[in-house]
Amino acid sequence: MSRLACLWVPLFPLAARLRAEPELAGEALAVTAGNGAAAQIVAATRAARRLGVTAGMTLSQARARVPKLAARNRDSACERAAQEALAEIAERFSPRVEVAGPGLLFLDADGLARRFRPGPRATPDWTPERELGRALVAAARRAELPARVGIAGSKLAAQVAAQSTAGSSSSPGPLASTTEAADDAEPRIVATGGEARFLAPLPLSRLAPELRLGETLARWGLASIGDFARLPAASVVSRLGPEGAELHTVARGIDPRPLLPREPPLDLAEGSELEWPLVALEPFLFLAHAALDRISRRLELRGLGCARLALELTLEPTGRDARAWELPAPTRDTKTLLTLARLDLEARPPGAAVAAFLFTATPDRTRPEQGTLFGPPALSPERLATTLARLFALLGPDRVGSPRPIDGHRPERLALVPFAPPAAPLSLQLPSRGGVRPAPGSRAPDGGKGLLAVRTLRPPIELEVLVEPRPADREPAPIHVQSLACESNDRRPSIAGAVRIAAGPWRLEEGWWSDVPVTREYWDVELDAAGLFRIYRDVATGRWSADGVYD
Amino acid sequence: MIVPRRATSATIPMAEAPAIAPPLRPSGPRPGLSSVLQRLEGPLAGRLQSGRELAAAAVHAEPRSAPWSTALPGLTRILPRGLPRGELIELTAGRSSGRFACTLMLLAAATSAGENAALIDLGDGLDPQSAAHMGIVWPRLLWARPRAVREALAATEAALTGGLPLVILDLGLPPLPGGRGAEAMWLRLARSARQHDTLLVVASPYRVAGPAASTVLELTRGRPLWSGSGGSGGTGTAPRLLEGADGRLTLTKGHRLLAPQTQALRLALPA
Repeated sequence: MSRLACLWVPLFPLAARLRAEPELAGEALAVTAGNGAAAQIVAATRAARRLGVTAGMTLSQARARVPKLAARNRDSACERAAQEALAEIAERFSPRVEVAGPGLLFLDADGLARRFRPGPRATPDWTPERELGRALVAAARRAELPARVGIAGSKLAAQVAAQSTAGSSSSPGPLASTTEAADDAEPRIVATGGEARFLAPLPLSRLAPELRLGETLARWGLASIGDFARLPAASVVSRLGPEGAELHTVARGIDPRPLLPREPPLDLAEGSELEWPLVALEPFLFLAHAALDRISRRLELRGLGCARLALELTLEPTGRDARAWELPAPTRDTKTLLTLARLDLEARPPGAAVAAFLFTATPDRTRPEQGTLFGPPALSPERLATTLARLFALLGPDRVGSPRPIDGHRPERLALVPFAPPAAPLSLQLPSRGGVRPAPGSRAPDGGKGLLAVRTLRPPIELEVLVEPRPADREPAPIHVQSLACESNDRRPSIAGAVRIAAGPWRLEEGWWSDVPVTREYWDVELDAAGLFRIYRDVATGRWSADGVYD
Repeated sequence: MIVPRRATSATIPMAEAPAIAPPLRPSGPRPGLSSVLQRLEGPLAGRLQSGRELAAAAVHAEPRSAPWSTALPGLTRILPRGLPRGELIELTAGRSSGRFACTLMLLAAATSAGENAALIDLGDGLDPQSAAHMGIVWPRLLWARPRAVREALAATEAALTGGLPLVILDLGLPPLPGGRGAEAMWLRLARSARQHDTLLVVASPYRVAGPAASTVLELTRGRPLWSGSGGSGGTGTAPRLLEGADGRLTLTKGHRLLAPQTQALRLALPA
């Protein structure tokens, strides 16, 4: 069985705060969470606790007891730094360190004890593992973190051992919330194979604080972890399912999951300093391709993709240029990454010769996709990510996506969301014979007919419209339509012709409550040999425009 | 020295022929071979020299996956086997001929069957609200809005390499910003579609793809359908309403097509 050491800092928010402000160590200090009257005590120094301050009190209650109580709010930056310092201490002893929570680490202690030899003044209870624990505690103390250490064969046993090292107490107990670190806390060692026996007297609540099965186990008459461990495993599985099976394994002093060592932060940066400054784009792209290819291969080794690519250029004689590109989905396609860089450099040249460059990739996991046996083939997430990145690079992020209907009546409006297609259906859904399969809630096409659609003209084309005089009670109908010759219409479809039939008007009102209300009168017009158009007159300005073609 | 005469199948009776030689068969059409030949395209059949090549070609001539539903009754009558995957199909039509409606119906057929599709919309003509009645499953549709033909072709090529089974390039209304695109580019797109087993539909106001298109469909505008006589509230007659449009769909180029085939098409506005 492997050996694990648990490094635990009791009252971690307080310890992190005192590490940042050591001058407060001897004072009555409380660390709170929340603001104002809702602030609650999370942890307090021994001096404050002696005066009656306990965790869970509001700050007002605590100040009523200790008027001179110093209070500090929880500081996430302090805690993050303390956590990182604790992990660095553990990594000096073992390369395999798992961060299990705030102020709680496990490290693989297999073989570490061989480093320690008994000295001339070794006490009779000296063991290499105890010496390892003392070394860990001493290292943490040097980093101003009062840590405790327990060593055992399973995570739970090691954690309980660490949490039961207060003073000279030899029996484990729920000390985490009531004790403050003792400077001379002795590490506690659980002998190999003795984990189940060590855990047996503990109450069931120590097995898992959020134990949802507690009531069930209590009804069964079980009081301790040992009682639970003695139950037959098969019976526990059949009654409590996988969750119960896992807890039963833990109760027997066996870890259901191995140690999950934290990954060192990835530094996916590639670049080089150039022998002579580059002024042209193509030679730079040649070098950039090689650098991006190296990044891509490193990402492939780890099964990751690039979610964000940053480029830092050192310019001649002095200067820097930094730019970054977000990718729609993680990819490691070198060509795509290079295209992104090329298009951006073409659009925004750095303005000076490049003396050095550095590409930095932010890694992320690629999208998983499960294929089906009978449904349509699923898209490869990798290829899709590459495609989206290329389209983004070509067209820009505001011109690629998945369309969505949005509230409102103006046809020129649109909403685009990132394209993330749902998983392929488990079986192929064949469209209905001779027509489309209607979506839920939509109208199916009639048998033997298709549906006419409207091609939106975005933005609308301005028109000059002649209208026929009509009686006062009827709206004047258009009789001739001609698109206005203006700069914005130069490259737009030309609309011109006499109106054969006009139907309308239909009034559209939108945003009357806003600063830019829209009121339009719509007409469907059939032009001589030119097609069917949807045109409108803006009531506020009187201008005519075409915003759709029936097609 | 007596040199033994080389034995040939002509000099040795069939029963005594060496086992390695293929058995001779009488000439004439064989049902298995003719069925294989029917599945081959004309030019390909002419290049075949041996039975092995023929068998290999027959395997490649088989469609790798089921063809697309045509999604439109008139089109189904012209193309009863559906739209072939892995090919470039050109759909040409002028204004108000139903080209955009056919495009949306193809997208609806694909996405409602659980497939993903891409619409490269050069004209930027899609209005999701007004196209909602078509039955398109929006999360399965990738919509790209290029500004010029050059961008549209590049975006189409990118979409083809993404493995999307249906890619529709709609070139919008004339004038096309940036011209028709180089013929080599269309051939390249057709090859990419074949390589990725993707159906590429090019919907354009006129022929642009040239020989790269394996199937060409032309839509011709017919008579718009109006109802009512144009009365208003006080006249007692029904107001005039656009009901739809008639048109004709013609298959002008296709596999083993001897003469153009035409079908009437009626497109109705949703109620």
